[in-house]
Amino acid sequence: MAEKFKLDDHERETLIFNRRMIVAGVFIFLLISALVAWMVYLQVYRYDYFAARSDGNRLHSQYVPPNRGLIYDRNGVLLADNRPIFNLTVVRETASNLDVSLDLLRSVINLTDDDIEQYRTRQSRRAVPHTSVPLRYQLTEEEIANIAVNQHLLPGISVEAQLVRHYPFAEMSAHAIGYVSEINKDEMTAMSAEMAANYRGTHQIGKTGIEKTYENLLHGEVGYETVEKNNRGQVMRVLDRTDPVPGRDIVLHLDAKLQAAAAQALGDRRGAVVAIEPSTGGVLAMVSQPGYDPNLFVTGISRAQLAELNRSGHTPLFNRAIASRVPGSTIKPFIGLAGLYNQVITPETVIYDPGYFRMQGRSRPYYDWTWWVDKSGHGAIDLRRAIYQSCNTYFYQLAVDLGIEKIHDYLMTFGFGQNYAIDIPEASSGIVPNEAWKLANRGEVWYAGETPYEGIGNGIFQATTLQMASAAAAIANHGVLKQPRMLRGTVDNDGEITDVAFPDSAAQKQLLPSQEQIELVRNAMVDVVNKPYDPEHRRHEGSAYPVLRESGRPLEYPMGGKSGTAQVVQFQVDAAGNRDNGEVDERFRTHAMFIAFDASENSRIAVAVFVENGGGGGSVAFPVARAVLDAYLLPEQEFPELSAVSNGH
Amino acid sequence: MASRSITRPLGNDFYRLSGKRGLLRGRTLRIDAPLMFSLFCLAMYGLVVLFSASGENIADVERQAAAIVIAFVVMIGVAQFEVEFFRRGAPLMFVGGLGVLIVVLLFGSEVNGAKAWLDLPGLPSFQPSELEKFLVPMMLAWYMSKRSLPPRFRDLVVCALIILLPSALILLQNDTGTALMVVMSGIFVVLLAGISWRIVISGALLLVMASPAWYIFLAKAHQKNRILTFFDPYRDPTGAGYNIIQSQIAIGSGGIQGKGWLNGAQSQLDFIPESNTDFILAVLAEEFGLLGVLFLIALYLAVLARGFYIAVTAQDTFSRLLAGGIILTFFFYAFVNMAMVSGLMPVVGLPLPLVSKGGTSIVTLLTGFGILMSIHTHKRVLPR
Repeated sequence: MAEKFKLDDHERETLIFNRRMIVAGVFIFLLISALVAWMVYLQVYRYDYFAARSDGNRLHSQYVPPNRGLIYDRNGVLLADNRPIFNLTVVRETASNLDVSLDLLRSVINLTDDDIEQYRTRQSRRAVPHTSVPLRYQLTEEEIANIAVNQHLLPGISVEAQLVRHYPFAEMSAHAIGYVSEINKDEMTAMSAEMAANYRGTHQIGKTGIEKTYENLLHGEVGYETVEKNNRGQVMRVLDRTDPVPGRDIVLHLDAKLQAAAAQALGDRRGAVVAIEPSTGGVLAMVSQPGYDPNLFVTGISRAQLAELNRSGHTPLFNRAIASRVPGSTIKPFIGLAGLYNQVITPETVIYDPGYFRMQGRSRPYYDWTWWVDKSGHGAIDLRRAIYQSCNTYFYQLAVDLGIEKIHDYLMTFGFGQNYAIDIPEASSGIVPNEAWKLANRGEVWYAGETPYEGIGNGIFQATTLQMASAAAAIANHGVLKQPRMLRGTVDNDGEITDVAFPDSAAQKQLLPSQEQIELVRNAMVDVVNKPYDPEHRRHEGSAYPVLRESGRPLEYPMGGKSGTAQVVQFQVDAAGNRDNGEVDERFRTHAMFIAFDASENSRIAVAVFVENGGGGGSVAFPVARAVLDAYLLPEQEFPELSAVSNGH
Repeated sequence: MASRSITRPLGNDFYRLSGKRGLLRGRTLRIDAPLMFSLFCLAMYGLVVLFSASGENIADVERQAAAIVIAFVVMIGVAQFEVEFFRRGAPLMFVGGLGVLIVVLLFGSEVNGAKAWLDLPGLPSFQPSELEKFLVPMMLAWYMSKRSLPPRFRDLVVCALIILLPSALILLQNDTGTALMVVMSGIFVVLLAGISWRIVISGALLLVMASPAWYIFLAKAHQKNRILTFFDPYRDPTGAGYNIIQSQIAIGSGGIQGKGWLNGAQSQLDFIPESNTDFILAVLAEEFGLLGVLFLIALYLAVLARGFYIAVTAQDTFSRLLAGGIILTFFFYAFVNMAMVSGLMPVVGLPLPLVSKGGTSIVTLLTGFGILMSIHTHKRVLPR
């Protein structure tokens, strides 16, 4: 009975269970149908969309930066090249715990707060996700090894090689060549759309000097490649590539040996030297001291390094070679030429110098330097002697006779008062004053009493060392001025140098007196250096001759020149610019100037030297100028070893 | 008569390895060939996909293959036990299972935030909570078999206790996904037992009404996040929504034919997270396309159909409920994973059965199928 009851129950239970299984089956059918429909929707209906998304995930167009063109000097010495460095980079998306990684990195390599701050700035500027951002540049081999050992603890952090600018001559060439550095926000916004596209892969841009001026030539054209990247941003395959066009290699007029010699001649003194090839206007050397190591800027200078640079207060970043200042007596030959050209004087014109010049209707005299020595003057003096003796009275008189407008018009034709250089846009124009200029710039009328000072270069007139060198080169070149230029040519693919042809408007514009009269001034400048003491006449020697004689080394080539001493505050100086400055505060010492040139028929070099608070032009600046000419003109001259200089970095 | 049929195993000729009945009697291997064949195909298919999903890591595939071999051995071993063994042992095994869960809570080790793993010396670490997926149905089936169906309300209270006790322990291990699956495996048994539709519907309604309250008051931040992400993966495309977005891209870009084995860009370039465990379907769908997905679903349906057949032809309530519970749980597992990876459901951490990497999961799944085989191959001759 019990058995039977159980069996009945059993059948009923089977029925219940089977019904429930049918319901479950129906549910399963519905669920599977929904799933299949959903899969069909994803894989068939929306296939195109997802296929595109998938490609978008893995395919990346990336820019391949072109190699920057190299910069050579006139003899093929490399002034700027590209070197591989190893950088520490971060892919933010993959760096799971950046702070921990940074702490670890700090303990194994040299990583400053400054580095990290700079990294965060770069990170915030980065536009493309999953790309690497530099954290620190130029790892040493030891640091690379330390990172490799800890790599497993540093997700998203890797060491990448990159070609960056390198300046073998470091400090020595800084002001001539300039430097590249990271492109900043302002530069980015200033770019045209086309240029911005070309700079997509580029990190650095020329900031100053040649690097900036010839940025277009040096940069090249960006390349592209399509790569397949994995989820960690690693490139798995390169699918397509358009090679970048490297920048053009360029050749400068610069002579690295001469540059080194000029820097050595200046020594530790603040100042500038510019040497120019008179026949071409090519800049052979451009030194400004103190300099700085441009390599520091390439990958971004740290705040600490910048502070260190500026600590001296001697403004090493300031290019003294292209800054304008009062030229002192170095202007006198050009005033003389102005007189001859305007026929205010002739070579035979003689004036009497009692030791001072007195303007008509004025009681206060303008003194010659001789007055401060022995209360006397030069007596009867012509132009030639006025130049080599650096007679102030003669030029006071001449300036007054010319008048400020004629002085202005004439000096303008020698490249003063404008940036006459073809490819040194950063150079100052200097000042060539006239009545209009003074009214416009100082809001005052021209006082007649100011004109005499313009005759001796201690007035308003200002010129850069570059302009002085260029003007000196014009005299050396028998009166023909060539526009100063840095670029000589470009190197084409075969290694052949193609000279650049700049449109040269200078020669036509120049106002020249007769050739004889130019030669007179040129010879007067040769006298400045070479004319010995005349035993019968007092003050008939060249103003720089005593310094030359004291050096004990006679010149081995013809040399012309002119010293100048620019007063910082009013002092009196002798003909050679000599003055005991011992008791004067260094900052109030006079600036020493000298312009000089190779006085042979086909002059090869002209130079202008400026020594800041140096003292007298003859005693301080002349030896520097001579050392530069020696270096260039004497074949057996001992030069500082170039390799030693380049190893300095 | 009944007692004799219980003690004497009587295999079905069809399911014996050998037809030589007399010679091999008592030594016959009791297996269900159709079920075994489907499971074997699934496992092999899984290995092929895993090789690609693990980045052609042969060591991973070997480990998985070893787990599969072990799992099949365990399955065949389990199939040799009498159903009666499971029925009688059910309460003991259930209590034992609870004991192990408590041990895990005290001494277990933590993986991915869930303290669900037991490291026994000399043994590979395993997840005892996985066992509950058939221990709970077994206990429920045992309890139901003592009662007459359909269950009354009092029985339901007991059932609820049987389900909730282990689930609560698993929840305490911080393993919500498994706890949910254990609850579901229990609910399937109760549903199959014939619980009144009125209770089912009111229970479902209650759940629907309670869910906002759960969301507001009880849900943890990451749970809320998953639900929000389900509704809009693009609210945080590189964070919470990343997995599902990349997985959908992989599936969708597979198209009908797929990109070919080892050629899935999403899979091979590591865009799919967890590509060899929970999200392995994305790899499969990308490389083998819709056809591959349909083939996978077909294999699951083959297993499911055989399981249904075994459940329906089972001879008593215990066998039936246990078989039904196990096979529905298996299907639910597979479905939830596929639905979640394709974005049809919020993400819950569940592997794709027999395909995803993971030894414990395969061994426990096949243990369940071993029980299914045991049910089918140990039949009594019933009086007609």
